[in-house]
Amino acid sequence: MPAMTSEPSATPLLEARALSFHRQDEPVFGPLDFRLDAGELTLIEGDNGSGKTTLMRILTGLLRPEEGQLYWRGQPLSWDRCSGEVLFLGHQLGLKAELSARENLRFAVGLHGHREHSDIDNALARVGLAGFGDEPVRKLSAGQKKRVALARLLLVPAALWLLDEPYANLDRAGIELVNGLLEAHIAHGGAALVTSHGAVQFHGGEPQRIRLHG
Amino acid sequence: MAELRRPRLGHACTAILRRDLTLAWRQRGDMLLPVLYALIVISLFPFALGPEEALLRRIAGGAVLVTVLLAMLLALDAMFRSDIEDGSLEQLMLAPQPLALMLGMKILAHWVATAVPLIVIAPLLAGMLHLPAPVVPVLLLALLLATPLLSLLGAILVALTAGTRRSGMLLALMLLPLCVPVVIFAAGALAAAQQGLPWTAPIAWLGAALALAVVLAPLACAAALRIALDS
Repeated sequence: MPAMTSEPSATPLLEARALSFHRQDEPVFGPLDFRLDAGELTLIEGDNGSGKTTLMRILTGLLRPEEGQLYWRGQPLSWDRCSGEVLFLGHQLGLKAELSARENLRFAVGLHGHREHSDIDNALARVGLAGFGDEPVRKLSAGQKKRVALARLLLVPAALWLLDEPYANLDRAGIELVNGLLEAHIAHGGAALVTSHGAVQFHGGEPQRIRLHG
Repeated sequence: MAELRRPRLGHACTAILRRDLTLAWRQRGDMLLPVLYALIVISLFPFALGPEEALLRRIAGGAVLVTVLLAMLLALDAMFRSDIEDGSLEQLMLAPQPLALMLGMKILAHWVATAVPLIVIAPLLAGMLHLPAPVVPVLLLALLLATPLLSLLGAILVALTAGTRRSGMLLALMLLPLCVPVVIFAAGALAAAQQGLPWTAPIAWLGAALALAVVLAPLACAAALRIALDS
């Protein structure tokens, strides 16, 4: 095999061809074509109800697209093919209110695996929750809950991050935190898809944009 | 490379068991409800039927069995509810572990939290209705096989009705026909033991059904929940 080149014709991490979705014969979003390579950030933009979350759920494999194909590393996307390489952060954060932040993260690590050189205390400190590790999640504010979920990004190994509205509920420092996490992930050769309806400032180069129309 | 990073299956299984049992313990008030229900129902029998010992002894086995199984139904529809509501189920589906195995662990944790307390108080319930002491071990054995069977069958139905609102009523109606064989075999073993007849055959049937359900029910749950979330 020849030496790795940086030309984009190498197999993309994720590729969508003519992807579209209808809900009761109403088109949610039209045929979409895009590709995502390692080390690339893509923003999905669109107004409320334009299908950002639906697209996200299709890309995780939770929802089946009606038309079009999805390829993961050149193979048709299926449950077992990409599991363990994709990390999804949705509107529902997947945290148990009765457990502490630390217990929630310990469970996530047990289930998804542990990234090298990471530990829960450092991750909590990094997302600004040092000292809150043993509080039950139900006592945390909406922004702090979001930060607990963001700590998962630091702990769990994944090639592709799918972040649905990661900036919601966060203050300015939190938005900076998300941008910092994304920049580090991209710099280490990871890929990320991020939905947002607001203006996102990203310092690590100009991201690819996918525009959805309502 | 992805293979190397995969967490070991055992770790994931213990993680999910530990989380669900911790959750159950934090909400142990909910755990007490089926126990309380069973105690109340059984203590009402002598009032309704009169304190005649021979009559109570005759119905004791069946009454305890049915009460315990009904008490289990109280907690059944909560099996996956909170996981669907808070997004934990999505995370579980995206984890690199076989979903059926993970759901099997959830069902096990649910059984430990709801059925084990009931089995623990079953000798007390049996004593309240004057069940002869030699029959109590048979009752416990029947419960040890019947309650996990009910948990597994119930889990399939809970998964199937997961997408619908107010699924409790539907669940009860669907579970009834599945409960009947469980009750027949378990009560058959008890009746035989009470009459001094061999009781191993119905117990063996329960065991066989349980073995089948342990293998198949988690797979059915996984398929049903994937459909439920695909909407």
